[in-house]
Amino acid sequence: MSKLTEGLTYDYLSAEAAPTREARIETCNAFGGSCNSLRTGMGTGCSKNNSRKFAQGGGCQLNLALGIVSSFQNVVVIIHGPLGCGSNNLGRAGTRKTARILKQRPTTTDTIWIQTNLDDTDVITGGIEKLRQAVLYAEQEYRPDAIIIGNSCVPGIIGDDIDTLLNELDGQIAAKVVPIHCEGFKSKYVATGYDSAYHGVLKKMVEPIQRYEKALPNELADSNEKYRHSKIVNLFNVGSTSYGDEVELSRLLTALGLEVRVLPLYSSVEEISRISEAALNISICATHDDYLLGHLKERFGTEYIIDTLPIGIKNTNQWLRVIAKFFKLEKEVEKLIAIETAQLEEALEPFKKVLKGKSVFVGGGETRIFTTGELYQSLGMRVVGLKPHNFDRFAIPMIDSIDDQEAVIDVAPGQPAEELVILSRLKPDLYVGHAQANAWITKLGIPTVPLFGQSFNYMGYSGAFELARKAARVLKNTSLSRKIVSNVALPFRPIWFESNPFDNIKEAKV
Amino acid sequence: MSTFIERAKVTCALGGAIVTLSALPKAVPIVHASGGCAGTLSGTYNLASGYKGSGYCGGTMIPTSNIVENDIVFGGEERLEEQIINTVKIIDADLYFVVTGCQVEIIGDDAVGVTHRYKDDKATVLAANTPGFLGDSFKGYEAVLSTIAAELVEKKDVKDKKTITILGIVPGQDVFYRGNIREIERLLNQLGIKANTFFGDGETIEKIRNYGDASLTVVLSENYGIETARVFEQIHQIPYITADLPIGASRTDAFLHKIGERLGIEPAEIEALLAKERKYYYSYIERILDIYTDLDFQRYAIISADTNYAFPLTSFLADDLGWIPHIVVIHDDIDDLRKKEYELKFKQLGSETKPKVVFELQAGQLLNHVRKSWKYNQNDKYFDALSPAFLVGSSLEASVAQKLGAGFLPVVFPITNRAVLDRGYTGYKGGLTLTEDIISALVSDR
Repeated sequence: MSKLTEGLTYDYLSAEAAPTREARIETCNAFGGSCNSLRTGMGTGCSKNNSRKFAQGGGCQLNLALGIVSSFQNVVVIIHGPLGCGSNNLGRAGTRKTARILKQRPTTTDTIWIQTNLDDTDVITGGIEKLRQAVLYAEQEYRPDAIIIGNSCVPGIIGDDIDTLLNELDGQIAAKVVPIHCEGFKSKYVATGYDSAYHGVLKKMVEPIQRYEKALPNELADSNEKYRHSKIVNLFNVGSTSYGDEVELSRLLTALGLEVRVLPLYSSVEEISRISEAALNISICATHDDYLLGHLKERFGTEYIIDTLPIGIKNTNQWLRVIAKFFKLEKEVEKLIAIETAQLEEALEPFKKVLKGKSVFVGGGETRIFTTGELYQSLGMRVVGLKPHNFDRFAIPMIDSIDDQEAVIDVAPGQPAEELVILSRLKPDLYVGHAQANAWITKLGIPTVPLFGQSFNYMGYSGAFELARKAARVLKNTSLSRKIVSNVALPFRPIWFESNPFDNIKEAKV
Repeated sequence: MSTFIERAKVTCALGGAIVTLSALPKAVPIVHASGGCAGTLSGTYNLASGYKGSGYCGGTMIPTSNIVENDIVFGGEERLEEQIINTVKIIDADLYFVVTGCQVEIIGDDAVGVTHRYKDDKATVLAANTPGFLGDSFKGYEAVLSTIAAELVEKKDVKDKKTITILGIVPGQDVFYRGNIREIERLLNQLGIKANTFFGDGETIEKIRNYGDASLTVVLSENYGIETARVFEQIHQIPYITADLPIGASRTDAFLHKIGERLGIEPAEIEALLAKERKYYYSYIERILDIYTDLDFQRYAIISADTNYAFPLTSFLADDLGWIPHIVVIHDDIDDLRKKEYELKFKQLGSETKPKVVFELQAGQLLNHVRKSWKYNQNDKYFDALSPAFLVGSSLEASVAQKLGAGFLPVVFPITNRAVLDRGYTGYKGGLTLTEDIISALVSDR
């Protein structure tokens, strides 16, 4: 159980789609202030309806939802929509292939997706027939284990009844047919996409093996099996966990005598179908998977740990302690932590000397930026600001971990215009940011470190070392950003740099 | 009726509009749609077009109204108006351009009307309807450029005989668009021809306003840019012709002769330029003769491309490089008549063998078409295999090349295993670059 999920329920499968994050939890994506004022703002709940006068592109929940399911092995993803929806696969298919290689998963098939190519006629008559043809084509050409259909805005608005069709096809073909309702316009929080994806997964893909009473009981074998099962844990990966992260976290859990299964991204459909068979489900990011873990608890009784994100020493320790407590391994975990932190602290010394006193700004997913900020703080750096894409109950306890409670907070999905004005004043020595943000910051002359990456290790003790090493390396030569700032222009009028970027946020009337 | 497409090598009309606007000098799109459209579609090209990146105001920087469910119910025109006003206030651009997504078009927002009502002496704001369901990226390219031709380009009664406008090279969808434009411009300049290119080096919105004095539009495509060319014809009385993208020596000769003839340039002048270019070209081609002939680098060519690239690329491989054009698989969604017309082009090839030409929308069918194009191996003792082969396509074809045991170079969108800056494949110079890249692919494991 978790304090973070107190009061939340997860019985939504009778509905076609998962509820949006705005309906399910209090959340906010437009707020400007400091750690202190954010805490107050969240307390009164007034910030959840804030909006912007000038807005820039955030994300689409369809991409996040399909980002999860398209990583499954031997599946075909169908995007029910016009040709633009899901077109980002063109840029991502290659990185997917690299990720499969890095994660030592089969690479025998390409990432396959199909778009139903809805046109203006379909907007009037509906696109169900095209969807049927696409599903049958996928089955015939690829014989996948699952065909997963992402519903986009157009069918969502015109009211295509995809579930009736897909239920009908589910019984006719060998592949599992899984609808995902992830229409972009439904939610301003892209994290809704995680719930949308897992809603479909939970509905159609989770099938525990039926167990029968043994005809010939064997006490020794049975108790062995029971013991083994009591030690199996599911470690839930997310789109931004690298293989290095998975190896490191598995290493630590294995040291506590646990048997770790890393799920569900890059897993086979068979592995996902048995997701309910574990003694404990362990999350590394509440923003990603509380919907999945909460539901598994309600349906199968599997306990879960949703606590912190194991980035940095403090948070890795905390994460391990909560897990160990569940298995009554409090003493053992302290032993593990003692050995690990002693070795790590020694290894970090040379980097601390370099990083001490330097300032850092972190932007990206809420739990990731606070924990990454805390790590750099523990290395002697000053966290001068944070830009969470959204902010909700899952990250509230993390506010306290920032030493300077007057550090700037800009809750903003993307919105580089606001962020760049803030950074032009704070002038941090280092920026750590989400993909698609770092190039803008470079144009401001600030060196950057990516907040995540499939070929880097960020989590656990080895991740802390890697992050320290990375920051120190980046600061060894900052020529690129210094050259760029004097040669490449940002697209703003001078007046924007003189304004208060938070005036851009429209406070909702309570 | 259109059909589903497996791994379409395009985005939607909105995606095409965004990538076109982002490629125009200091132009900024204002996207009236849900929050994800702008970033996703721009992001597709930022990565898949040889890592061309966000540029001046692309990617997450794109201003957008971020319509949500509430706006779908009550209409999003007010939100759009607010977004336009604030974009002009904050973002420094020479042209602002409102483009629309599916959501707002289905509910009937009048984005063009809202834009026209917006008046500001300091800012030029245009608009076009570009919902994804209108069709593929090329539709968005046409929507943007035809609006510019109709509403931004000033009418001029006097035409300059030696000025032409180039269309058909679609930014993003043509990964090498800037390099390709640059070389075409260089060649034309040598004949005293000024080229209006929209996206080339040194273009400005101010220059685009003055495109009305061109005497000819040259569309380097049989399918894309035609709609805009017709607007230039109707509103500015500028006629248009189509021509093949001049990739390499043979196609450049044909291109310059065609343009020269049309503009009344003496054939001798064209020949003199071509002779100069040819001399330069072969002084470098000479370098690869040893390795080409000693290692027998002639290949069976398998081409997977769109109609802009398919024929010019095949012609380069067959006519310039001396390869055997075996099969050409084209993925454009065009009607049967256009397919027939396009197929006829391949009769021009100088090679003794002419390729099989197939139109296929589904990316996954390429391997099947190649297999069907050659006698099946029945485990014969003596088998004349389709080998050595080389596949030129997009990055999606990497695994097909691997399965065929063929060499491979991605030249067509999407390209994710190469970074492309100012490289281009047009002209004699582009022919050298393409030769360099192909031979490099053949020796890259050494």
